[in-house]
Amino acid sequence: MIISLNWLKKFTDINMPVDELVKLIGARLVEIENVVDLGEKYKDTLIVKIIEAKKLEGSDHLNVTKIDDGGVSQNIERDENGHIQVVCGASNVRAEQLVVWLPPNSIVPETYGATEPFVLGARKLLGVTSNGMIASAKELDLYDEHEGILEVEDDVKPGKPFAELYELNDYLLNIENKSLTHRPDCFGIVGFAREVAAILGKPFHTPEWLANLSPAFDKIESGGVDINVNIDDPELSSRYMAIVMSNADGNKKTPTKIQTYLARVGVRPISAVVDVTNYLMMLTGQPLHAFDYDKLIAVGGGKADIHVRAGRENEELGLLDGRKIQISTEDIVISAGDIAVALAGAMGGANTEIDENTKNIVIESATFNLYNLRATQMRHGVFSEAITRFTKGQPADLTAPVLFKASCLMNEWAGAKIVSAIADTYPGKTETPTIHVPQIQINETLGSSLDMPQITDTLINAEFDIDVKAPYTVLVKAPYWRADIHILEDIIEEVGRLNGFDNITPTLPGRDFTAVEPNGFDVFRSLVRKILVRAGANEVLSYSFVHGNVLEKAGQDINNSYKLVNSISPDLQYYRQTLTPSLLDLVHPNIKQGFDSFALFEINKAHSKKDGLNDEKVPIESEMISLVLANKSPYDSAAYYQAKRMLDYLCESLGVKIKYEPIEKGLDNAIVKPYEYRRSAKVIDELSGDLIGVAGEYKNSVIKGFKLPEYSAGFEMNSAILFNTFKKLKPYYKPLSRYPSSERDVCFQVGENVMYSQIINSAISALEPDKYDAVVTPIDIYQPTEGGTKNITIRIKLTASDHTLTSDEVNGYVKSISNLIVKNTQATII
Amino acid sequence: MQNIEDTGKQLITQIAGSDSPRDILKAPELKQLYGVIKTLPPEEKGGYGKRINELKITLESAVDTREVELESATVEPLDITAPWDVNSGPQSLLPTENGSQHPLTSELENVSDIFTRMGFEVIESRQIDDDYHMFGTLNFPDNHPARDGYDTFRTEEGFIAPAHTSTMQNRILLDGKKKLESGGQIGVVAIGRCFRNEDLDATHEHTFHQCEGVFVSETATLGQMLGTLRSFFEAYYGQSLNIRTQPSYFPFVEPGLEFAIEKPAALGGNSKDKEWLEMLGCGMIHPNVLSVAGIDPKKYRGFAWGGGIERLVMLKYGIEDIRHFESGKLQFLREFV
Repeated sequence: MIISLNWLKKFTDINMPVDELVKLIGARLVEIENVVDLGEKYKDTLIVKIIEAKKLEGSDHLNVTKIDDGGVSQNIERDENGHIQVVCGASNVRAEQLVVWLPPNSIVPETYGATEPFVLGARKLLGVTSNGMIASAKELDLYDEHEGILEVEDDVKPGKPFAELYELNDYLLNIENKSLTHRPDCFGIVGFAREVAAILGKPFHTPEWLANLSPAFDKIESGGVDINVNIDDPELSSRYMAIVMSNADGNKKTPTKIQTYLARVGVRPISAVVDVTNYLMMLTGQPLHAFDYDKLIAVGGGKADIHVRAGRENEELGLLDGRKIQISTEDIVISAGDIAVALAGAMGGANTEIDENTKNIVIESATFNLYNLRATQMRHGVFSEAITRFTKGQPADLTAPVLFKASCLMNEWAGAKIVSAIADTYPGKTETPTIHVPQIQINETLGSSLDMPQITDTLINAEFDIDVKAPYTVLVKAPYWRADIHILEDIIEEVGRLNGFDNITPTLPGRDFTAVEPNGFDVFRSLVRKILVRAGANEVLSYSFVHGNVLEKAGQDINNSYKLVNSISPDLQYYRQTLTPSLLDLVHPNIKQGFDSFALFEINKAHSKKDGLNDEKVPIESEMISLVLANKSPYDSAAYYQAKRMLDYLCESLGVKIKYEPIEKGLDNAIVKPYEYRRSAKVIDELSGDLIGVAGEYKNSVIKGFKLPEYSAGFEMNSAILFNTFKKLKPYYKPLSRYPSSERDVCFQVGENVMYSQIINSAISALEPDKYDAVVTPIDIYQPTEGGTKNITIRIKLTASDHTLTSDEVNGYVKSISNLIVKNTQATII
Repeated sequence: MQNIEDTGKQLITQIAGSDSPRDILKAPELKQLYGVIKTLPPEEKGGYGKRINELKITLESAVDTREVELESATVEPLDITAPWDVNSGPQSLLPTENGSQHPLTSELENVSDIFTRMGFEVIESRQIDDDYHMFGTLNFPDNHPARDGYDTFRTEEGFIAPAHTSTMQNRILLDGKKKLESGGQIGVVAIGRCFRNEDLDATHEHTFHQCEGVFVSETATLGQMLGTLRSFFEAYYGQSLNIRTQPSYFPFVEPGLEFAIEKPAALGGNSKDKEWLEMLGCGMIHPNVLSVAGIDPKKYRGFAWGGGIERLVMLKYGIEDIRHFESGKLQFLREFV
């Protein structure tokens, strides 16, 4: 939306510099995106008089003119009479005209602000010097008319600056429409001016015609026609008014000054009849529509019988812009009799379009259901100034004064006369609430200390009706154009805003000294992060949505993922069920970037339909930790053990004891899906026996699908379960012994299928913790290429708390441990 | 046509039992089928060609499956309980100097630490939610134009990928009601991921992080809101700051404001030519929002705010492209070792 400062000034005094005003409006109403200095654009442009115009020899259309600039231009070539020679190609040029002249060295306004503005000079055309140019409306950037030069109809002295005559020493304030969604009144100059006045702390007076909700329209002189309006469904429109005017002159132009105002706020002037509706819309925020009465009658079977109704199945309408649209049953339609003549609020129909032959018109002033119009706007791609205003919810009361003003201006600018009674149907009339506003409430909510006069003045300036009841309470009634005001808080906002929120002293809420508990899960996750970083891994964040491919490549069932219906691209179509697929997808790109060896991890949420809904009927969220490591260079040991090492390090650092168990073939669990079950393990919490997650290498299909290097492995765990265990941990400390420890290494030869855990678990079960403190650690795992056996060497370290161990004691104890291992695993001690 | 199906069945059986399945794609039977195309009348050529191509795709996928199967068969099981592989030794971790924490999570930890010290509890925001929490409890009537400002992703079931952390407001209020009514106050910050259906560029992400704050007491004021937010940013930037507001409209607050701070010295700001950084949206909680959670708006008042985290991090480090955050690029991540 463009707001003209000069237009605002017609309704309220503004004396401050524009940048200060912009700051104040920003702090108290809405951000001004940018300001255009219009005066700069027209600074050299002058009104001049054409003294003579003669055909230029050798040209079929050029004229040589002598112009009188009142002698104001400096450094310019003049003839003996002081006149300046300009060549002009327009067909409508003639002597005695007042026109607009762009002197040499000035910029053609149409190109002002462009990357290469066109700077005029004094140049020769067919050997004749032309000083600058005489401008058309298009070259003046007013509107799209370059058939001829712009004729100045006002009686002014040559040499007067063009900008001065048409009040173009103006600033244009640009505002983003969506910033004012809640303020329909500010979509009209009067409403915006009212706000500015209130912000500046000045009383505002709405023009009388706009404040009068029951205007007296001109009496019909003679004859008169009938017009009927019906709102078939009150849900669609709360008020519809119309009037018929005759003898409009379709060729008449709006006064030039008004045209320049329309042009500067982005509306193209067309003809007086059309301009009246646009002018009033920009002024008041109320869109109007004009139908050709005779065409409407023809369509309606000889009667002006207007209906507001829902669109019908298979209904079509040709629009003013030449499109033919299929109307939806959600659209609101204006019909003459039964035939659609307009898409309400959006665009008129071609069948009742105003043209240069139009004599009689119907002016519509109405409001429509903004929700329907919003949908219509999207459905049919209509983004006009009118629908922008309608979809903010213009008040129904506004229709009457604006229709009244329209009838006056149609008369004044286009010579039309009222020939019908006012047709008015108003099923949606509502009462304005009276709001009880105690002073104390305002100050207690804002933290301000405004006194009663400050409060009442603020509201009065914005034209609220107030009635001071008790000494510290005021009854407030919002003016009709403020349909957004319903409750006390709305009034508090008005008072706070118009007095400047920045004038409120910031304070802090009081609190006692009760310690705030940090979020335990956050603290835990932060700890996990730091441990994994210490282990050399890189934390990543990846999207919560993935491509269906990614799920499929990871072996997960796509049907278990929540699917977005409006994703930006197929890459972001499904909620991920676990984090691992996202991380796998990042391995190859990083290897391509030259990173040979790395581990990526992510701590985030995952979502699967299989987990179902919670008590709030929303999907259960899983808290996950995932790590993927990869190394481009081949390795002599399996990647699994590197992943296991990382996970062991993490859990040891956390103090959580885990164990690894084989995965049964075909385990149907999204977290396990990417993993090769023969080279992966379930991760189990030793204390509770709960399944925390999985660690291991990936299936061959996964390695292929994600182009992983052969040496790839990782783990994924449910961090909530891990946290549950972590949170139960008790502080642990083992007192130091004063006596030395003894160690023995024992090597067991076992069958190749015997697992390391069988040996270590047997050893542990043979220990007598009360007797000695024992630590069992692996030393070596050797498997010869043949023979089907392997040798596992462990070290048993013993310490007693009360004496130095003798060699016999140690040997005996180690023997008892070894015996149990032999018994459980059929090992041979070697 | 029958011929295509028969040949297809035959070849699929062969693939399923083959040790070199890819060779079967070059089978003479297949070549023969292609050969037939030339002999057909033009109107049949299209349909026939399409069928053969479909068969080819089916065969290729059967080959892929068989290849994986073959590879799978050679998978050597591991002793998953062993500390390291046979004939090797203890595994080391990766070089610790390569490890890095994501700059966003560092900042989220920092932000929640400051709010915790100020007296706020911290919770995490949801990543999938419903219309009721995202809009309904926040005073957005159905079809309200204000909903347009939030380009939400929706699932087939009608769930929503939340477009703001305000989706947690109703839950915070419900949870804190008891505490409030026993004389305490609600002070909670919700941090988490949000999503908007927005095209990506250097300054726009469809996935981003927000920090939401909710404070309710019997005596909360707009002045306290300004003070609380200023206090946070002063702690965050380690200097005293001027603040500025601008009226704004969000259905769940009344009044609603945009909150800006002067550019702090750490980001190159100076007191002479004051630049302003817009940080967040905030306001006094709308009475309807309190009512929905069963909190009496006549007795209690509150304020709430929500702001993005990415911007804080981008300003702090001078990060030029918001897309780096979710890119998983080690080049980027290892700048933060």
